Amino acid sequence: MDFDFEKIGFTLLGLFIVLNWGLLMGAAMRKLGARVGRRYGIPWFQPWINLFKNYAIRSTLSHGIMFYLGPVFRLSGGIGLFLFMPMIIGSQLWLNYSFQGDLVLIMYFQFFGMLGMALGAGESGHPYSAIGISRGLSQFTTIELPLTLAIISIAVQYNTLSIIDIVQAQQGGFMNWTVFTNPVATVAAMLSLLGVLSHSPFNLVNAPNENPIGPPTEYHGSFLGVLQTNRAILHVVEAALFMNLFFGGATNWFEFFMKTFLIYFWSVFVGVVFPRYRIEQSVSWFLKVPLVLGVLAVILYM
Amino acid sequence: MISPIHIISIGLGVSFALGFVNEKAKNLAATSMLVAIGLMGTISAAWLTALVQGAETIQIFTAGFKPPYSINLMMGLHEAFLSTLINLAGLLGGLYLLQSLKKAGNHSIMVFLVFIMGLNVIIMTRDAFNLFVFMEVVSIATAGLIILTETGKSIQAGFKYMLASGIISGMLLLGIVFAYYYSGTLNIDGLATANLTAMKSGSVAILMILISLVLELKPFPANGWALDVYEASNPGISAMLSAASATALYFVLSKIMVIANENWYYIISVAGMLTFVGSNLLGIKQDKAQRLLGYSSVGQMGLLMAILGLKPMLGDKLEFIAGTILLSHYLAKAGLFWLAGIIENENIKDWAVLRRKPILLVLFGTFLFALIGFPPFPSFYGKWELIMQLSAHQHYYILALVLLGSFFEGIYLFQWLGYAIKMDFSTLPEIKLNWNKIIPPVLFGVLVYVAGYYTSTLLPELSALNYIPLLFIVILYFIDALPIYIKNTVAILGMTIYGYQILPPLYENDMLRFIFASIFIVGGILTLIAGYAYKGKREGFYPVALLMYAGLAYIIQASNSLEFFFGWELMTAGSYFLIIRGKKSMPHGLSYMLFSIAGAYALLAGFGLIYAGTGTLALGSLASVTTNITVIFSLLAIGFMTKTASLGLHIWLPGAHAEAESDVSPMVSAILLKAGVFGLILLIVNMGHNAEAANIGYILGWLGALTALVGNLAAAFQEDAKRLLAYSSIAQLGYILFGLAMMSHLGFLTAMYYSINHFLYKAILFLTIGAVVMRVGTHMMYKMGGLIKNMPMAFIAVLIGIIALSGVPPLSGFGGKWLIYNAVLANGWYLQGAIVMFSGIIAFLYLFKLIYSIFLGQMKDNLRHVKDISIWFAIPVYILIIGIMIISAKPEWVLQPLGAMISQWYPDAALAWDGGLATGPYGYWNGNGIMITVGIMFALLATWLWMMSRKAIQVKQFNIVYSAEAPQRPETTHISYNIFAGYQKALGWIVAPKITEFWDSMTEWSHSLAHYVRQIYTGNGQLYATYVLAYIVAVYFIMIF
Repeated sequence: MDFDFEKIGFTLLGLFIVLNWGLLMGAAMRKLGARVGRRYGIPWFQPWINLFKNYAIRSTLSHGIMFYLGPVFRLSGGIGLFLFMPMIIGSQLWLNYSFQGDLVLIMYFQFFGMLGMALGAGESGHPYSAIGISRGLSQFTTIELPLTLAIISIAVQYNTLSIIDIVQAQQGGFMNWTVFTNPVATVAAMLSLLGVLSHSPFNLVNAPNENPIGPPTEYHGSFLGVLQTNRAILHVVEAALFMNLFFGGATNWFEFFMKTFLIYFWSVFVGVVFPRYRIEQSVSWFLKVPLVLGVLAVILYM
Repeated sequence: MISPIHIISIGLGVSFALGFVNEKAKNLAATSMLVAIGLMGTISAAWLTALVQGAETIQIFTAGFKPPYSINLMMGLHEAFLSTLINLAGLLGGLYLLQSLKKAGNHSIMVFLVFIMGLNVIIMTRDAFNLFVFMEVVSIATAGLIILTETGKSIQAGFKYMLASGIISGMLLLGIVFAYYYSGTLNIDGLATANLTAMKSGSVAILMILISLVLELKPFPANGWALDVYEASNPGISAMLSAASATALYFVLSKIMVIANENWYYIISVAGMLTFVGSNLLGIKQDKAQRLLGYSSVGQMGLLMAILGLKPMLGDKLEFIAGTILLSHYLAKAGLFWLAGIIENENIKDWAVLRRKPILLVLFGTFLFALIGFPPFPSFYGKWELIMQLSAHQHYYILALVLLGSFFEGIYLFQWLGYAIKMDFSTLPEIKLNWNKIIPPVLFGVLVYVAGYYTSTLLPELSALNYIPLLFIVILYFIDALPIYIKNTVAILGMTIYGYQILPPLYENDMLRFIFASIFIVGGILTLIAGYAYKGKREGFYPVALLMYAGLAYIIQASNSLEFFFGWELMTAGSYFLIIRGKKSMPHGLSYMLFSIAGAYALLAGFGLIYAGTGTLALGSLASVTTNITVIFSLLAIGFMTKTASLGLHIWLPGAHAEAESDVSPMVSAILLKAGVFGLILLIVNMGHNAEAANIGYILGWLGALTALVGNLAAAFQEDAKRLLAYSSIAQLGYILFGLAMMSHLGFLTAMYYSINHFLYKAILFLTIGAVVMRVGTHMMYKMGGLIKNMPMAFIAVLIGIIALSGVPPLSGFGGKWLIYNAVLANGWYLQGAIVMFSGIIAFLYLFKLIYSIFLGQMKDNLRHVKDISIWFAIPVYILIIGIMIISAKPEWVLQPLGAMISQWYPDAALAWDGGLATGPYGYWNGNGIMITVGIMFALLATWLWMMSRKAIQVKQFNIVYSAEAPQRPETTHISYNIFAGYQKALGWIVAPKITEFWDSMTEWSHSLAHYVRQIYTGNGQLYATYVLAYIVAVYFIMIF
């Protein structure tokens, strides 16, 4: 493989932008959530403070090699998704390494971080971690079903699995966006997105109340810092995926910020309205309306 | 050449002379008897040799007159062959019964000799009245022999025998009288030319003669007396009745059939079929060894009777079919009854005592397999030919009944074999082995192999068969007493040499066969390496393991369906013995075998129909089939799917794989299942182009998708690590079936890629988990935990295995997922495809559970000091991991040749390759690039985090943060049992064991039916006699209409 230093430079720059945007967006959403609940909420720069504090903590404990590799897997997963995702269409420089794989790669690379994290948290030996993981994995299986159907539907619609080609096909006016050309698939996918971003009502995995913080229970210091870094990147990249698939992608960073914000906001909006599901409820929920819509989206293209 | 009349003269003469021998000179009497039978046998054998070499059939005219004025005997090829068999059975049977006969006295010895002599006469005679006389002689002798053991039961049985045979001989005599009255001759040939059927009332004579001969063969249900006889007699006598008497009487029926017309053939075949199916059905409920053998004996005679009835159709094939089946029955049944005499235990569960003398167990297995019709025994070829002929003449109902009856027979015989191999025998008494009781079964055991080999040489289709693997197995059997490391080395060397011989030419000529042969042979060698981890002798393991591999190799090399089926059955037999070696494998071995037999019969029927349609056995003829395509395709697909354990036919797999030994599980999972895949590929590439096949393909696609779903979901709910992997195999084979069913380039590419990958990672996982199980002593995951510190080698192997299996990039599994997406989109199977992808995600549940429950979390106190897995397991595992890594980094090395191979069948929509970048009809993927990108990123991040956390204090797992409470003990803190409870609540209904319940209810139904029907056998002699009469009346009425 040739090392194209310009490409690497722009990719790293993109990563920096995405990380900070993710942190900011995270703060904004928490703030919004707090205001809906009539609280004041955190300051907008709180995520940066958390990050610096965690990376700076000098005393840390490790439960073993897998415990240490867990966050590495997790962050590799997040950054990997970023790398394989085209960010801004129209400029070769912001397409990252998406030439190495298509939508299927994105779909399965999501699991890279999840699996690694599950194992790392597993080695921590904390029962809450294991409970959190078992819930997370359970929930994720059924989240993926309507999403898969929606993706099949749009892959058939555009006759490709290449994200870049899908975005290109949506150019030339917002009426060309998938949300208007294939609304059923979009709705199914947007319902799945609620699970993907795991906000309420699908946040039993981290279950802040009774199960302190789910899989990362034992993580602290720089380990936790890595996880928080990942969360910021991941949320933006997931939103970018939906933006690319359903909302015409982005041709410049402003469009990117607007669209990812609104997509992310959708899950927060639902989250502040609906209380949390138990795990068997959330598992079944995705197999009801979202699944029916997903099947419908596919049938329409059969 | 000595005249055959001396067979009679010696028999009679010595019998009379025995009357003058002093009652105390028992040795003299017994020796004279054996010498006499030996001489009789020598005469028949001499005639047999002469006739085989082309001598003329001879007729012997007694008293110097020609028939019809005198009795005449005939010595032709059939007569010589059968009388040799009878005298051989008589000689060995006499030897076997030596003590009993001597104890009973000289008169018994005399009766035995007369019995054998009488059987010789009824074979040779051509005179109806003479036949009657000697049948009477045999009857009386039989009755005398039945009461040789003076128990209440045997005396009752003798009495019932007399009642039944009284009616029968009365009927026979009347028939002969009528026949003589109408035709004026007693000579059988004369009766045939007289054309009795055309005469007024002549058919009544025929009815009486034939019905009595049929009744002698114990047709169901008029055979209660016979079952009691088999059960109550001395086993040595039962052996004679089953092997010698039945053989002779069968021949009598066949020679007397010349006097009858077509209708009678029909009646005989119906009576025979009814007996075959009926008595094998009733055998299912039987648990007394001798009575069970009685059922089997009666059943086999029924089959032979049916075959005789099919003579108008079979023509000159009759001789081969009936001959091979009769011969197998003769050898096997005598052998089994003789074994029953050695065991001296009625209950079939007590046959576990055979394991005290392994040679007896080997004999027992040999006889059972010969009886069922497995290769390399004669009946295998006979049944094969029978099925081919039945199909060619479109006798589908009979074909189905033959297979059904054989299946019933398989149920009880393999149940019995399972008891013998697995039941506890510690409380059972020692076996006393007398030389004279062991020689006969051993000799018959050897003969049944020799006969099998000889039969195979008669078939031109098997002329190319390579016997070296089988010979190699025999060698392994003879060195079974040596320590493991020697046998293992020999086995590995043998496989290596064989691989070296067959793989390079296959690589040049036939990529498909090369791939599967590599999986079988390389996989075989790797899994055998793990065998070094075992200590002691591991008796019986190597012959059966190599038998399975030999079967697999035969399947690869087969060029016609007979060779293929030969290999298939050998593989089934070998894998059955491998599977049943597991500690708790008895029921699983049986269920594996029953599904296998049923599947094999489906294949047999399918091959038969192909033969009927194309007139050739060549495997390539699948492509030119034009008739019955739906039926053929379905039958073959079902046959192969019993091996791939597709939904509905999968219930044998979890237990069989989970309970097998640690190195056997990968053999039967990663390797054996691929035989079914290979079969499906052969089927689809040859027959898939037909529209009917494509329709079934659509169903198979759904079946594959649902198999994947159910397999993965069930795996997620397992607590037993090996069972979890077994369910995972079911699901993986579901993907493969799904891919194949698409019958497209990408579908096949998916399936082939999965086949190779599944071989790699399932072998890794099963070997590693098996090795872990050997260390920790349990399969239950919740009894383990935190083993990563003790078993880093195992952990890394499982980690690589699960990442590859899950399909997470950058390891090889992702290629499969990517291919599935493209194939599904290209083929338009969106909904099925979504189910497959959904199942792929469910796999994460069980993969996490597997690695987490065993290696992560809290450790159990009792496992704090376990060592890492045995190096002998680690070696093959890490070799396989190298394989995974190569395929992950360079998928094009595998996918390009696969694509080229598949293009010969499906050239459309192939992948385009540009270096490592694959472009399909929908997407693109660069396995190599992804590997590098992810690798670099991962390394950078790992270094970065290590830099930041390098001063972290290493603590044990139990040093964890809790909020309000403190955990009490590590073992109660490990979360593993029922970890996906929420998921089970939501989706558990999908894997409710409905299919198992269905098969259980089928079992229950057949058992209940058997139980209900067998109540007709009340044990009442008068009732049995009534049945005999009723049977005659029933046949009479049938003949009238």
